[in-house]
Amino acid sequence: MSRVAVLGGGSFGRALAIQVARSGRVVTLWSRQPRDPAHANVRSTTRIAEVGQAELVFVAAPSIHIDGLAQEVGHYLDGTHLLVHVSRGLIGSDLTTLTQRLRSSTPCRRVGVLAGPLVARALAEGEPGGAIVGSLFPEVTEAVREAIGGPTMRIYGTSDVVGVEIASAMVGLFALGIGYAQGRGFGPATTAMLATRGMAEAMRVGVACGATERTFSGLAGFGDLMAAVAGDGRPESLFGRALAEGLPLPEAAARAGAFVEGAGIAAQVTAFAERHGLEAPISAGMAALLSGRASGSAVLAQLMSRPVRGE
Amino acid sequence: MKLLPTKPLRLPRLRTYVPAPTDPKIFWFNSERDDIVNDVVRRILERYQSDEDIELCLNDAAYNEIRRHEARTDEGAKNRLEYWRGIVRRLSRMSSEGRQETLRECATKMAYDVAGNFDPRVYKFAAKAVPGLLTAVMNPSSVMRSLLDSGARLDELVAAQGPIEKLRNLQRKGTIVLAPTHCSNLDSIAIAWVLLREGLSPVVYGAGKNLFSNPIISFFMHNLGAYRVDRRIKATLYKDVLKSYSSVMIERGYHSLFFPGGTRSRSGAIERRLKLGLAGSGIDAFSRNHSRGIKRPVYFVPATINYALVLEAETLIDDHLKEAGRHRYIIEDDEFSRVERWISFFSRFRALESACVIRFGEPMDPFGNRVDDEGRSLAPDGRTIDPMTYVTRRGQAVVDHARDAAYTRELGESIAHSYGVETVAMPTQLLAHVIFRRMVRATPGLDLFARLRHRGDIAIPVEELAADLGNTRDALLGLEQRGRIHVDALLRRESPMRILERCLATWDGYHLRPVAKIVSGSVLAEDPNLLLYYANRLRGFAVELSGANEADRAAARDIEVMELRT
Repeated sequence: MSRVAVLGGGSFGRALAIQVARSGRVVTLWSRQPRDPAHANVRSTTRIAEVGQAELVFVAAPSIHIDGLAQEVGHYLDGTHLLVHVSRGLIGSDLTTLTQRLRSSTPCRRVGVLAGPLVARALAEGEPGGAIVGSLFPEVTEAVREAIGGPTMRIYGTSDVVGVEIASAMVGLFALGIGYAQGRGFGPATTAMLATRGMAEAMRVGVACGATERTFSGLAGFGDLMAAVAGDGRPESLFGRALAEGLPLPEAAARAGAFVEGAGIAAQVTAFAERHGLEAPISAGMAALLSGRASGSAVLAQLMSRPVRGE
Repeated sequence: MKLLPTKPLRLPRLRTYVPAPTDPKIFWFNSERDDIVNDVVRRILERYQSDEDIELCLNDAAYNEIRRHEARTDEGAKNRLEYWRGIVRRLSRMSSEGRQETLRECATKMAYDVAGNFDPRVYKFAAKAVPGLLTAVMNPSSVMRSLLDSGARLDELVAAQGPIEKLRNLQRKGTIVLAPTHCSNLDSIAIAWVLLREGLSPVVYGAGKNLFSNPIISFFMHNLGAYRVDRRIKATLYKDVLKSYSSVMIERGYHSLFFPGGTRSRSGAIERRLKLGLAGSGIDAFSRNHSRGIKRPVYFVPATINYALVLEAETLIDDHLKEAGRHRYIIEDDEFSRVERWISFFSRFRALESACVIRFGEPMDPFGNRVDDEGRSLAPDGRTIDPMTYVTRRGQAVVDHARDAAYTRELGESIAHSYGVETVAMPTQLLAHVIFRRMVRATPGLDLFARLRHRGDIAIPVEELAADLGNTRDALLGLEQRGRIHVDALLRRESPMRILERCLATWDGYHLRPVAKIVSGSVLAEDPNLLLYYANRLRGFAVELSGANEADRAAARDIEVMELRT
C-alpha cells in the first residue's frame, strides 16, 4: 500500500494524519517540533527527507510558510509525487493560488487542493462528512479518496482548481465575518444575508480568476459556508467572535487556536477587486474592520446603505 | 489556378537516396513513410474498437464529407460523394470485420493525404536558392549582386536570438518540438530559413491546405516534409488521424513544429489562449515511448516571431474587427497570394535593420521544467530530475490520457508565459502603441469601435509625440531589465525622432492606406485599425508603459481592458 505523508503538525495536519491512519495505512507526519503520534500508524518525524518516501503528500501549512516549506521539501520530491494542500490562503494581491506556488517551487506537477466542510475535530472523531478535491489530475483525486475517503468521508472531485481555492479562501473570510456578526448578536437573517451576498462576491472574484460559477454552490463554497454558519467551531468563527467581544487581533488569533488566513484575504481580495473593476464590498468592509480603519457598526451601515440592484 | 493539380508534385526518383549518418532524421522520412502511415492507422483502430464506436466514427465522417462535397461541382467531388454515400448505405449491413476494414481504408486514405514527402534534392536546392531569391525579391534593383552574395542581406533582415547553441546540442539528444507565435503565413518560411542558417535541423509541420494552393510554395512545402492539414474536413476521424500522425512523428524522433495559437493572430496580440492538440501529441509521444522503454527526451521550444511589418496586417485586423474570424477561418484571398504585395513588403524593410526577429525561448521538457545544456530536466532547485517520473505511477511508466491532458494544459501555460517574456518589441509596435494611447486619451468614454471611426482627425505635434515615444521607450527598457520583455536593437539605440521617421517610412507605401503621416508639423493617426493592430502586441504592458501622466495612465487602463478576442 502506498505511503502518505502530512506536512505540518498543526491541529488540522494531525487530524488528517489520524484519518489516514484509521484506514490502516502508515502515515508520516512531519513537523518542526516533535509531535505525539496519537495513533499507532502515525510515524511522527522532524526530518523532512522522510516525506520523499510517500506518494501522496498533504501540505497543511499556512500560506505564509508555503514558499519556504515547498522549497525545503522540494529537494526530496520528483514527478511521481502527488501534492495536495488544505490551506485557505492565497498569495499577494494578484491572488496567486497555492497550487500554482507548489508547482513553481517544487518539481511536482500532479498537485491539488482539498477543501470543503472539514474541521479538525470532526475529522479526528470520524463524524460522517465530505470534502472536495480540486485537481486537473484524476489520479490525485483518486489518491486522496484512497487515503482519507471511507465509510465516514465522501471525497468528490473537480477540475476547477482555482475555483476551489478561491471559494475556500473566501469562505474562510466570510466565516470570520459571520462569527463576528453572531458575536455581536445579529440573528439568522443577517447571517444569511452575509453568506449569500458574500458568495456572490466570491463568485465574481473567482470568475475573474478563471473559475467556474458552479464550484461556488458546491462543497467548496456554500457547502463549506453552511458548516461554518451552523457552528462547526472552526478557528475562523472563533476568531470572529473574539473580535466581536472587543479583543485585540493578537488575542483573538490566540483564541482561534490555529492560523487564520481570513484576516489577510480581506485586504488581498479588496486590492484585486479594485484593480479588476469588480465589486467586493463585503471584503472591503472586512478589510477596513480588521485593519482597525472602521468600526463594526460603521462597516454595517456602509454595507446597508449601498444602492440595491437586481440580484 | 483551378486547373492545376491539387496533388502536390514530386520529382521522379532516379535512384534511391541513401542518407548519410550525419543527416538529420528527416532525410529518412521517405523510407519510413509507409511504416508511419501504418502506425497511424493501427492507432486509429486501437482507438475505435467496439462496433458502435466504429459505426459512429464512420457515420460522422460520412456525414461531414457528404456535406462538404455536396457544395462542390467538380468531377473529383462527385466521386468522393459516391464513395461516402456508398459507405452510409452499406454500413448498417456490414459485419464487424467489414466495418473494421472500412475504417482501416478510410484512415489509410486520410493518413496518406496528410503525409508529406522529403526530397533531399529539393532541400539542397532550397538551401542554396531561397536566400538568393528572397533577397532578390527584397531588392529588385540589384538582382545580380543579391544572387551572388546570397543570404547576406537576408541575414541582416531576419535576426535569430536565444539559446541557439543549446538547441543545436539538444537536437542530437532528443526530439525538438518548436512552438512559435503565429501572425503571418511568412512565419513558416522565416523559421525554416533561420533553422537552416543557424545549423538547426529542418522540422516537419502541418501546413494548412490553403498554403498548398500556390503551386510553387506547395512544391517546396510538400517536398520538405510538411504535412497537409485540410481545415475544411470536419470529421472527427480526420482530426484523430492528424493527432496520431504528429504523435507518431515525434515518437519516431522527427523534430516538429506547430503553432499553438492555431491560426494567425487576428488582433496582432500575442496569443494567450492556446490550442494544444498538437502539444498534447508531444506529451503522448513521450509517455508512449517511455512506457515501451524508449528513453528519448522531447523538448518543447517556445519562440516568438516579431515583425516590424506584417504582410497580411490589413486583412487580419479587419477580420478581427468584423468578428468574422470564426467564419472566415481560412482566408484565401489575403496579401499572401498577391505577388506585388510581397515585393513592396520586402522593399519597405530597407528602412529598418531587422525586419523580423525570431527569438527562441528556453527549451523545456514536456512538463514545463527547464533543461540544461545536456538536455537533462532541472527541478526548481537546480537538481537534475528524470522526466520519466511524471508518467510513472506506482513504479510503472504508463499512458494515461486524462493525466496527459492535464499536463498539456499546464504546458500551455508555460508556453504562454514564455511568449510574454520572449517577445521582442519592434519599433513600429511601440510607435503604434504611443499613437494609439493618444487616440484613446483624446476620445475618453468611447468604445473601441467609436474610437476607430476617428480616422485622421487626431493630430499630435511631432515633438510631443517624439517625447512621448522616448519616455515610453525608457519604460520599455526598464521592463526589459526586469526580464519581462526584449527590445529590438534599433529601438534601443536610435533617437525617438529617428525612430519615428523610420517607422513612418516603413509603413508608408506598403499598407494600402497610410498608417500615420506628418501634416504641418503634426502626426495624423490615419488608419486607426492598423495602429490598433501594431499596438496590440504591447497591449498587456500598457499600464506599465504609461509613465506618470494621469491621462496616459487612464488611457492605458482602458487599453488593457478593451474587449478583444485574440
